[in-house]
Amino acid sequence: MTWKRWSYMDHWITGTPQGPRQPTFNRNHTERYLRQLETLGFTGFDTFGFTLPIYASLYGSVPAFERALQDHGFVGLTGVFAAYPYATDFAAPHRRETHDRIFADFERTAAAVDGLAVENVIVMPTNTYFQVEPVTDETIKITAELWNRVGAMLAPRGLNLTCHFEFWGAIRTEDELALFFEHTDPELVGFFCDTAQHTIAGVDPLALFRRYRDRCRGFHFKDTQRVDDFDAYRTAPDAELMATGVPRWFYEMGTPEGLVDFPALMREILDSGFDGWLTVEHDKADLGGGNFAEATAVAKWYIDNVLDSVRGGAA
Amino acid sequence: MIRWSYAINQWKPSFDDFTRRRDHERALRVISISGFTGVELTTGTGRWEPLGNPDQLAANFGSAAGFADFVHDAALEAVSSWFFDPLLGFREDLSGPADPADPAAHDSVVSHATWFAEALAELGGEVLVVRPTASAWQRPELDDAVIDTIAACWNDVGRAIAPLGIRLALHFDFLSALRSHDGLERLLAATDPALVGFSVDTGEFAAAGLDPVAFIEAHPDRVAHVQLKNAAAVDDDDEYLRRNAEHHVKKGGGEKPVPRWFLELGVAAGIVDAEAVVRALVSHGYDGWVTVESDLSPHPPTSAMLNGWYLQHVLQPITAAS
Repeated sequence: MTWKRWSYMDHWITGTPQGPRQPTFNRNHTERYLRQLETLGFTGFDTFGFTLPIYASLYGSVPAFERALQDHGFVGLTGVFAAYPYATDFAAPHRRETHDRIFADFERTAAAVDGLAVENVIVMPTNTYFQVEPVTDETIKITAELWNRVGAMLAPRGLNLTCHFEFWGAIRTEDELALFFEHTDPELVGFFCDTAQHTIAGVDPLALFRRYRDRCRGFHFKDTQRVDDFDAYRTAPDAELMATGVPRWFYEMGTPEGLVDFPALMREILDSGFDGWLTVEHDKADLGGGNFAEATAVAKWYIDNVLDSVRGGAA
Repeated sequence: MIRWSYAINQWKPSFDDFTRRRDHERALRVISISGFTGVELTTGTGRWEPLGNPDQLAANFGSAAGFADFVHDAALEAVSSWFFDPLLGFREDLSGPADPADPAAHDSVVSHATWFAEALAELGGEVLVVRPTASAWQRPELDDAVIDTIAACWNDVGRAIAPLGIRLALHFDFLSALRSHDGLERLLAATDPALVGFSVDTGEFAAAGLDPVAFIEAHPDRVAHVQLKNAAAVDDDDEYLRRNAEHHVKKGGGEKPVPRWFLELGVAAGIVDAEAVVRALVSHGYDGWVTVESDLSPHPPTSAMLNGWYLQHVLQPITAAS
């Protein structure tokens, strides 16, 4: 079958007379960006919580931005991503004394998207590994308390809280993931499968989806070309862009060196009855001479010409 | 029926760029996913022009048929057309520039055109698009004898490639010698309509101060190919007559200056009414390829997608309604 719900995660750099910039540089560049995504056939659009005020300033309000998205053929703003990658005295999910402030932050996010098409509030559930370690059962259980509480606040508003795990985060192994999900309510705290992040962490995203399918709320479809087999995840101050020897972790679907088996995952998704959004994400596609426009076009080509041919019925 | 292709020329900024198969594969996929079904090649020479001529296709893909498979694997139907400038010469046979205004060069022009047409036929293509003569600064005089010589050359080419199923289309550009002395119309009249068609490059026409729609309306039966692109400005100061105008005017922008002569379809700053062009083609029952291009784009994938948006949302509804 042809999957209808493909969304795009809001990463992009565009050329401007003032050099390479984000499309939110001005409204004209934003419109060019959305027009390119429309050309490719995306109908969902996910963005960062911190970008919402920028869109509001460009279009007058977040709802006005959503109407602009709809003018470009999108159903609307479909997901919002929130993160606290760095542990501070005010944002550290493994420390209970920061929970009230994080909770309040999510109340503001929920208010900002009230009445919009947003289905998923996607969150990095932990800080960086090196700031949390030693990661213990206790740090994971305290983290779970926070997200149960936030999920309970979001659910009555029609928003799914769903957790997106990083290879460099403080919940990253199969056992850590299992403990976290054991201590969170499946109705309130979802699983969000980033295919590259899990692969880098040495965890099979397909196996994770099979295990947590009932609470899976979405995917970031992106590829990687290597597994972190040298403890890069502990790199301070940052593993994603500053790890020694790995200038670029993430690649678009369809590169021959990619490690993620997308057709197999697609087959599993079709068999599972999952009916949410599948999101294309390209973190830092511009590294090493690449660019977001080409990467996104090539990824959507892969969707239309490879993944659309996948049928269910896996053994 | 109009079929839509995209020119790959904009992807190659330098002689030693855009050489690897991975680069070509990605460009073809961008073209395909943007909504086009064909690709137009530009002739070139040497080892770093893998898509430049039949020898290089064979060296890189085994044969023209091998390249056709590569194109099909990118979900494109065909190579629509090949742009051939006989004045550039080829390293493959150490042939120098072949000037259609020089009778002694005609055999070379015909043999090279046939070389491309044979490969084009294997690639599913239909049109050999050619630069008919030199730039205006190189040939400021254009008397009847010169026009007749150029016309004879292209009549010969048209006659040679017709049996291969390939049409010939002379491509007018805004620096062309044909821009002076009513050269375009005179060459049109001097060539055999059964053998020689024309390529209407909308951006080049507009930059030259000519109306592409008026040309289509005046000569619908001579339109064998269209290159659809937007233009940012008109060269209304006759800068095309400047020595080495290719560098100083087309790339350097001239005295205005014009930072970029050619733009994506439908942008506010553009002066080409692409909708009117397509309506004119439809009204005359044009049956062939329209190649969208964006020469000298600062960002080819973005240009392809923006042009693809315009194709899907503005131009194809016009053809669908006809």
